[in-house]
Amino acid sequence: MRRFRYFPPLTALLLLAACREAKVVSYRVPKEQDPTLPGMTAASADSPTPAGMPPAGGPAMADTAVPTAAGPGLTWIAPANWRVKPASAMRKGSYAVPGEGGAEADLSITAFPGDVGGELANVNRWRGQVQLPPLGEGDLAGAVSTLSQNGLQLTVVDFASAQDTGSKRILGAIVPFADGTWFFKLTGPDRLVAGEKPAFLAFLKTVKPVTPP
Amino acid sequence: MNGLFRQFHDLFVSLKLTVTLLVLSIILIFWATLAQIDLGIWGVHQKFFHSFFVLENFPGTEIPVPVFPGGYFIGGLLLLNLICAHLSRFRLGWKKAGIWLTHTGLILLLIGELLSGLWQEDYDLTLDNGETKNYSENERDNEVAIVDATDPQFDDVVAIPEQLIANRETVQHPKLPFRVVPRLYYPNAALQMRRDAPDAPPSPATQGMGAQIVATPIPLTSKEDERNLPAAFIELIAPEGSLGTWLVSPELPMPQHFSYGGREWKIVMRFERRYLPFSLTLVKFSHDIYPGTDIPKNFSSRVRISAPGTPGREVLIYMNNPMRAGGLTFYQKSFVPTAEVGSERTTILQVVRNPSWLMPYIACSLMALGLVLQFGLHLAAFARRRRAGSAFSPRESPAKS
Repeated sequence: MRRFRYFPPLTALLLLAACREAKVVSYRVPKEQDPTLPGMTAASADSPTPAGMPPAGGPAMADTAVPTAAGPGLTWIAPANWRVKPASAMRKGSYAVPGEGGAEADLSITAFPGDVGGELANVNRWRGQVQLPPLGEGDLAGAVSTLSQNGLQLTVVDFASAQDTGSKRILGAIVPFADGTWFFKLTGPDRLVAGEKPAFLAFLKTVKPVTPP
Repeated sequence: MNGLFRQFHDLFVSLKLTVTLLVLSIILIFWATLAQIDLGIWGVHQKFFHSFFVLENFPGTEIPVPVFPGGYFIGGLLLLNLICAHLSRFRLGWKKAGIWLTHTGLILLLIGELLSGLWQEDYDLTLDNGETKNYSENERDNEVAIVDATDPQFDDVVAIPEQLIANRETVQHPKLPFRVVPRLYYPNAALQMRRDAPDAPPSPATQGMGAQIVATPIPLTSKEDERNLPAAFIELIAPEGSLGTWLVSPELPMPQHFSYGGREWKIVMRFERRYLPFSLTLVKFSHDIYPGTDIPKNFSSRVRISAPGTPGREVLIYMNNPMRAGGLTFYQKSFVPTAEVGSERTTILQVVRNPSWLMPYIACSLMALGLVLQFGLHLAAFARRRRAGSAFSPRESPAKS
């Protein structure tokens, strides 16, 4: 139709008016640290352990042989400086995290069926491993942080022992997935693990369900 | 009236055009509603409403062809139609003041929507209790940031939009002593450690952590609760030769460090950032519930806004009560849920820059005023005629209004 002959130039004009050009930009910002994830609670490192308080759970519990979770799995990307250690029957993944002067921290990834006693029991188990008193149900929310990503809900903890010499720190994440629970635990010398915290948090961000083939 | 003007006039004042456009709008909205199942709300906005034409790939090819007028096209023509018909049909006068105001309001509303579509920028600002940030992030778009981190006080950042990486455009920026050459780009990719995929082909990456990782392209997603995570292999080429190829992806949030020319550099692909002229600290996020229930009562974020050289102030942002500062509006958008309701500590604020944000308010005020005036004038005329009629014959029916 003749009367529609002016549509194309009109449309072209409107299209041009709407174009947003992608441009390279440059700017100066105050010094930034490499990213960490939100939601971390400071460790209760300076809270003293009451005399005679037995550690809750304890290493023995962590070493108890239990069946690992089967079924769908999680995948992750570890930082380049973490050294892959041989996997074991218990561990889904195992890394050595090197530090200064030959110090080394251990990153373990384990998975178990069910909820393994629940979040509080597992948090207290880790607290016991660094000689911290167990938490009550009401204290749990303030001592952990939660991350939601890739369809997963991660409960993240950062606990350091109160001892001055040879102090130990645990960075951990508890991840309910499918019918099981996955544990990501970085444990080692306080200073080394604290320094590795940004890398651990970034590492957690890469955790996601295995994409079905 | 010459022929050209007459053609424009006849076309744009035509009521047929109005009806045609309204029918097309109905079809567009219906189609877009169905398409939302696959595309999600954001994808539908872009494909159907913030576009001049709805594009579909020609069968069997990747060539997009227009198949239906989009929101901008229909809205733009409706606007033109409304203005032309109005100018052509209505004359200025007190009796028509209400119609004039109502139509002007409608025209402003349409223009405002167009300008919002063109100018509005949406970003997110995620803050944990006690955390301070001076930038917001766009979780839909990414950028490759190359940072000169040599100075202990500040970082010099060159940010390259994902679109340029996708177009494989070589970037030579005055602040970079090397060229940035995108070698490979996947709009959505799955990354996995090479040990988990021993049969994967060798990585194009020669530097950083890319050599240990296998990047596999996967189909694009438009679902509400998913996002595309692109990956790119970027080669940096200095005058004396290649510095290497890095794998970058928002899935690798830790910047990869390297040295060149006596300076320390970082390269990372991240959510596109928009720096703010001030910083925001989350003092406290609150998720209030009705006592004894898990029913939400209120979501609010108490933030401290501080700019260099100012004392700073605290502002409470809650639903329907945004904070406006520096040409930006901060809405309470969402939060990161925790296992226990009420113990959340991470807020997500929506940061909107919309230079035309006032237009809908002005438009709606004008339309309301116009309608009140129009109905008021009619009512007054009706009452006057009724009074006049009843003076002669109480049984006579009222005059036509």
